Amino acid sequence: MKLIITDINNFNIPVEGEYKLINPQGDIHHCVGCFGCWVKTPGKCVIHDGYEGTGTDMGKCTELILISRCCYGSVSPFVKMVQDRAISYIHPDFVIRKGEMHHKRRYKNMITLSAYFYGEDITETEKETAINVLKANVENYDGLIGDVYFYKTLEELRGVTL
Amino acid sequence: MKITLINGSPKVKSSASGALIEDFKGYLGEKAEVVEVGFHTTTLTKEVIEEMSKTEAWVFVYPLYVDGIPGHLLSCLVQLEQACLQNPQIHIYGIVNCGFYEGVQAELSLKILQNWSLKAGFVWGGGVGIGGGGGLAMMPKLEPGHGPKAPIDKALQGLSETVLKKVVHENCYVSVAFPRSLYRMGAQSGWRQMIKANGGTAKDLSKIPE
Repeated sequence: MKLIITDINNFNIPVEGEYKLINPQGDIHHCVGCFGCWVKTPGKCVIHDGYEGTGTDMGKCTELILISRCCYGSVSPFVKMVQDRAISYIHPDFVIRKGEMHHKRRYKNMITLSAYFYGEDITETEKETAINVLKANVENYDGLIGDVYFYKTLEELRGVTL
Repeated sequence: MKITLINGSPKVKSSASGALIEDFKGYLGEKAEVVEVGFHTTTLTKEVIEEMSKTEAWVFVYPLYVDGIPGHLLSCLVQLEQACLQNPQIHIYGIVNCGFYEGVQAELSLKILQNWSLKAGFVWGGGVGIGGGGGLAMMPKLEPGHGPKAPIDKALQGLSETVLKKVVHENCYVSVAFPRSLYRMGAQSGWRQMIKANGGTAKDLSKIPE
């Protein structure tokens, strides 16, 4: 299953195969740093606003696709809030991978993370930062890095098939 | 000199960012007038932006979230960019606390903050990445430079001098001064205590929900 997290409200990009879409459907609450998704309701965020199940969705997907405005080399606030609210995909305990501390796996699935960024004035430094952040995400998800694309406008992106 | 210290934790009370701000204020002492603001949600008021615009340095203190800037804080940064202050007199600094042991894991988060400062028309001044931040809010108050916080104290003191001089500081990365294996053990024992306090068992930490 492909899991698509995007800040596009009217999402109409064609997708091949089975997928689940997480896009703005009402206000999202930001992560409050309570760790309830690890120590109260393990695997699920405790804030009930429709975005609490992303961690479980990530546990069922093989591809995680982020489609986002590029903000200074980061995904946009909406996509980031979804990612922040989904840390229950990983386990609170630590492991050492490639000499650095990361979280243990909760699930067995292997995620391939790819991204489609858009924005009029994305600088080369921001592109480099965005790619490096995705590589760091992959280390933390213990997954694989997929393709990363940059577009100037949303219209350009509409010609893509996911 | 007037400096804004920004608490970018989503927590209003008892955050590691709050503890770091208290320490940082101690290093600034009487040498600067400090304005403290909390970016705990996704939006800023006009009054906060107005107040900040009258200060010469902004120090963002926040936790590392998924290798970057917490979503609510990122939303505030977008708002600040859109406010079009574009003031090259304002220097931007960052202090990032990581739950992981290695402070260098904050590097990309600081890079995003640096990219933002350039895009928003400010001057990037540098930052500190702090590893082992998970226990900071609970650590006993010791004399600066002593105990497990000693490397953090040194880094904060160095950054405070940079901020006061309004110069540029190369990013530096530090960790708490005790072994990584002990930090890991302490954190993991903490998760077990917390889940038990919530009526669960250690095994529940590995639950796979439907």
